[in-house]
Amino acid sequence: MKRLRLFILFFSPLFLLSCSNAEDSKDYARGVYLLLDTSGTYTEELNQAKQVINYILATLEPGDTFAVARIDSGSFSEKDIVAKVVLDPRPSHSNRQKREFATTVNSFVKSVKSSDYTDISGGLLQGIEYLNEAKVGNKTIMIYSDLKEELPKGFVRDFDLELDGFTIKALNVTKLRADNQNPQIYLDRVGNWQKKISLGGGVWEVINDLDKPEAILL
Amino acid sequence: MIDSTTLSLLGDWKTFSLMLILAVFILYLARTYAHQAIKGFCRLISSVFRVAASAMDSTRKQLKERNREVLLEQGQQQVSRDLEREFFEISRFVQRDLGGYPQLQRQIQEEITHIHDDYQKSGQVPSALPEWVEAVDSVSKIKASDNANALNSKILDQIHNSAERQHRDNLEQARKDSAERHKCLKSMTGHWRKLSDSVDEVGGRLKEIITRSNNIDEHMTKFNDITQGTDSAVRALRASSITQFLIALIVVTIAIGGAYFNFHLIALPMSEMVGSTQRIGGVKVADLAALVIICLEMTAGIFLLESIRVTKLFPLIGSMDDRIRRVIMVASASVLIILASTESALAFMRDQIAGDLANLRASLAGIEADTSIEAGGLSVWIPLIANMTLGFILPLALTMIAIPLEYLLQTGRTVFGGILEVILSLLTSILRILASSLRHLARFLTSIYDFCIALPLWIEAMIIKTKRQTNTRTDNDDTLIEDRGIF
Repeated sequence: MKRLRLFILFFSPLFLLSCSNAEDSKDYARGVYLLLDTSGTYTEELNQAKQVINYILATLEPGDTFAVARIDSGSFSEKDIVAKVVLDPRPSHSNRQKREFATTVNSFVKSVKSSDYTDISGGLLQGIEYLNEAKVGNKTIMIYSDLKEELPKGFVRDFDLELDGFTIKALNVTKLRADNQNPQIYLDRVGNWQKKISLGGGVWEVINDLDKPEAILL
Repeated sequence: MIDSTTLSLLGDWKTFSLMLILAVFILYLARTYAHQAIKGFCRLISSVFRVAASAMDSTRKQLKERNREVLLEQGQQQVSRDLEREFFEISRFVQRDLGGYPQLQRQIQEEITHIHDDYQKSGQVPSALPEWVEAVDSVSKIKASDNANALNSKILDQIHNSAERQHRDNLEQARKDSAERHKCLKSMTGHWRKLSDSVDEVGGRLKEIITRSNNIDEHMTKFNDITQGTDSAVRALRASSITQFLIALIVVTIAIGGAYFNFHLIALPMSEMVGSTQRIGGVKVADLAALVIICLEMTAGIFLLESIRVTKLFPLIGSMDDRIRRVIMVASASVLIILASTESALAFMRDQIAGDLANLRASLAGIEADTSIEAGGLSVWIPLIANMTLGFILPLALTMIAIPLEYLLQTGRTVFGGILEVILSLLTSILRILASSLRHLARFLTSIYDFCIALPLWIEAMIIKTKRQTNTRTDNDDTLIEDRGIF
């Protein structure tokens, strides 16, 4: 009995330490929420997006969270999440999950239909909620879009974003025909998003050269 | 025409000059006390430095003495161990080789007896005089006559024939005897050789004894030097200690490299067992588990080497009863083998996980997997076997870390003691220099002070000079008056 007491006395601080730090391990996990623009002709860019998704999958580690969602007419919805995963702590299981994820995304890209409108703000809000729920340490939202928001009638997206601890990366921000005629339109569009993100407390990055995968390193 | 700015400046200059004069005057008045204060302060700080230097020097001396004692003690222990080993070797040699000396002696004696016998056998026995010599002599003394001559002749012929026959027989016998003797002498050669070999063997063994005795003599000389605490012994021990420390440091560094490699070999498969998300203090539990396994292997190795008395990190284990020591030895060896086997299995697992990960990355990148890898050819088996072998061998190799570790700990004490001694010596010198500098600084500061009040001092000097001259003149006048006898 005395030995048992000694054992408990000796190992309890270690146990408590491990328990107290078990939650902290979430702080080291990374969370990525990727928004794919499916409006208009942008669906043609989705094949390249597939490569980005695969690259992100390859770099993620057990314990990390990853979700891919589409941007359509009303993106503030769980239904728009194409695939989501919290990678298993065991590497072999995590690899299997990655394979399944890649298959799901692949079939989505093949069967995607373009939407009439582009609700980027709704998708962004959905991403914020998802990553906040996931309680990860490093939160990144990637927007694979031309950043031109078009909302259906009656949709209101006039809200402030809470982006403390978030990094927002805009990928492959393509230039539209109007942008070519007047580049100021493009600059204003990107500038507005940057302002919105910065006001929300987030970090804003634009990555257009996707041939350099290290640019989207988490 | 002087404008207002110039006037105000002049007004400032006036104030400044007045303040300066006042300050100089005050400084002049306070000169004695200021000098005392400067000197007192510098003396105080200088004394503090000197006391500190003295204390540090005293500590250095104590440390030096302690280092010397430790060094001599360690040297004494080392030489004692060497002597013990030499005596043990000699004892083993005596038991093993000279213990068989009576047998060797008996062998030599037997060989000598054989040789002696052969010698006896080979001795030539002189053949007896022929018997017919006397008969011839008698015949020759018979008186001469025809009948007698004929008879004599016949007898002599017969004698001649007999002599011839006997001579032949004798010659044959002599040849036979000679052949026998040669045979005996020939058989002696083998015995001579054996005898020579035995003597050479004894000589060789005695040479080894002489070599061992010389070693013991050297160790004894060293031991005596250490016991007497001579400077040369301390110097030799210190040099040896630094060399051993550096060698041990290099070996331990290599071992740490091996441990690091070993860690990477098992960290990934450990994450398969305990998961790779949980962390303690920012470190993954899987990594900690891998580290714990490596540390356990090292501990088992240390205990194993302790139990077979190779190292003496834990003297208690070495001094234990042989039975308990054997139990510890078997337990440590078993733990080590089990852990090494586990590591080998983990290395196998790592290979599988790494292969799976590589395939996943290839498929994500849209590259077809290598067909040779898929087929499970040599390119798969060689790394797998190498991983498993390393997984088994590295833990066993890491057990040897106990030996350099022991040297590192033993010599580290004296090496770091020596470094500390040098640092203390350096600090003592610096403090002494500072103390001395402060004394000079006091003089310098008083000179600077006097320089600031140079004008009043000059005036004072002039007044004193004038006063002295006046006094001298008055004294001279008085002397003159006295000489002239006015009063």
